[in-house]
Amino acid sequence: MSAPLRIALAQGTIFDDTCRALKAVGLPTDGLTGHRRLFVKGEGVAYVLARPSDVPTYVAHGAADVGIVGRDVLLESDEDVIELVDLGFGVCRFVVAAPVGSMDRSLDEYRHLGSLEVATKYPRVAQRHFERKGIQVELNRLSGAVELAPQVGLSDWIVDLVSTGRTLRENELAIVEEIATCSARLIANRASYARDRARIADLAERFEKWAAR
Amino acid sequence: MRAFGSYGYVPLEPPSVELARAASTVDEHRVLRFLDRDGSLLALRPDLTTAIARVVAQRYREATGALRLSYFTTVFRQERSMRGSEREYDQAGVELIGASGVVADAEVLALLCEALTAVGLRDFTVEVGHIGAVRALFSELPAGAVETVLGHLRDADHVAAFRAAGEAGLSADRVARARTALAVRGRAIETVDLPEAIELRETIHLARELFAGEPLWGVPDLAVIPALPYYTGVVFEVISPHVGFPIAVGGRYDGLLALDRPATGFGIAIPHLHQALVAGGWTPAQDSSLISLEGGDPRTRLRIAAALRREGLAVALGRVAEAAGGIVVTVRVIDERTVEVDGRSMSPADLVATLLKGVEGNPRRNGADPHRNGANSPGSRRETGREG
Repeated sequence: MSAPLRIALAQGTIFDDTCRALKAVGLPTDGLTGHRRLFVKGEGVAYVLARPSDVPTYVAHGAADVGIVGRDVLLESDEDVIELVDLGFGVCRFVVAAPVGSMDRSLDEYRHLGSLEVATKYPRVAQRHFERKGIQVELNRLSGAVELAPQVGLSDWIVDLVSTGRTLRENELAIVEEIATCSARLIANRASYARDRARIADLAERFEKWAAR
Repeated sequence: MRAFGSYGYVPLEPPSVELARAASTVDEHRVLRFLDRDGSLLALRPDLTTAIARVVAQRYREATGALRLSYFTTVFRQERSMRGSEREYDQAGVELIGASGVVADAEVLALLCEALTAVGLRDFTVEVGHIGAVRALFSELPAGAVETVLGHLRDADHVAAFRAAGEAGLSADRVARARTALAVRGRAIETVDLPEAIELRETIHLARELFAGEPLWGVPDLAVIPALPYYTGVVFEVISPHVGFPIAVGGRYDGLLALDRPATGFGIAIPHLHQALVAGGWTPAQDSSLISLEGGDPRTRLRIAAALRREGLAVALGRVAEAAGGIVVTVRVIDERTVEVDGRSMSPADLVATLLKGVEGNPRRNGADPHRNGANSPGSRRETGREG
């Protein structure tokens, strides 16, 4: 019997959907919830329960063979992993948002000052986006509640992840543009994908079928 | 390097500092750059294939035959801190420039396998893909769209690649066919009906004629799509069960830079190779011992040291703090004709005979724990001194 396939799972908002998906494609899900163990063994698999932002690291370095994590996390992490399947759940969008009705003022400010201040929890995504657009910005890296920043004058704009957009509306922010739409992905380590192709490709096919249902 | 030489490859050391404006094939954020006093922007070479192609394009412009070049040197990549990666590391490899066709591809493939086997790597596979085959899977698309799809595949983003192919107008069955072709591995490649897939298998068969190695070391696998953009034909990656990264990457890169010639080659990432070797239970071969020569009056000691070195032995005067995994034999000089090893007296000539015999065949040598012979144990003479 070969070693169990190590699957890294993101313990965040997508965790419940992840468990449902695992169950749907016939993988064991016993023992994934209801306790605090972080390394859970099942039949033929071993789950590594990690923080979402750490999942790409575990997979890229081969500490896990495959993983399930949001594309938002992958974009911000920049780790080298294979993205195999779009699982379809955990949909959210990276957006640029500004206070409602502030667009003219901020563009005027950009022309005069040559730079805009942007607060974000996702500096890599924000930087790449504005570089591509050729807009000069000063990034303010925050750890949470980025919506607050424009209201108290910390920044002109924000780059944030939204799912329904309700938080933006309640804080009187409007979407300026969308950067990327994200959903959960099945990812694989490069070496594992070669070594364990039969199992991983089979798993990918089952997830693909399930996601297309 | 000995394996490289036996295939007729000669060493070349390209410049490690390049002008940063020279075309780079590596993402510019990953290149270490700096200014010189004239204000020119320089770069530390991030990739040897490009550096060698540049040297060849300049110095061997007129050469017509096949150039076989090898290297064992450093490359520099900008890595984010705290990611467990190095910015400077050794790479060993070869470039075969001016030869095309399956025989040339097979030669490089076999040499890679032979070199890795020679340094003691076991259980590895060489995953062999074909960029031409991958292109052919998307050949119904307009050229620009093919490049977009390939770009996603080089980033290992299969989701985006197949989506882009579908959006650019590739039919659903063609997308499904491409998806299957990139998922099959090994014998199942027979199901991919492309001339490049046959060429790929032919390359592996020929390589196995050159170097039999372990069974099944060459595995057809179209999912091998290296991140660097210059590959055009057969490409390959070495995978070991012990390491999460490919140990070596290579392939055909016809027409790179000003080099208007067919070319192929590979690079072995030495840190990854080392990691795989150590994880596989390998320890450094201890085929050399170092004599730590002590005692006696200075003139006698120096004279004996010179005499031992003439016989081909390595001699350090006084205590040795770092023997790089080798065996340290402490020898005490009594007088011109007598030395003492491990409490036993013998003549310098006997010492030479004992040690040289020990070097040739000592069964315990390879299994020995190198750390026990390392720093702080200059008295470690359990090997040669006692058994001789």
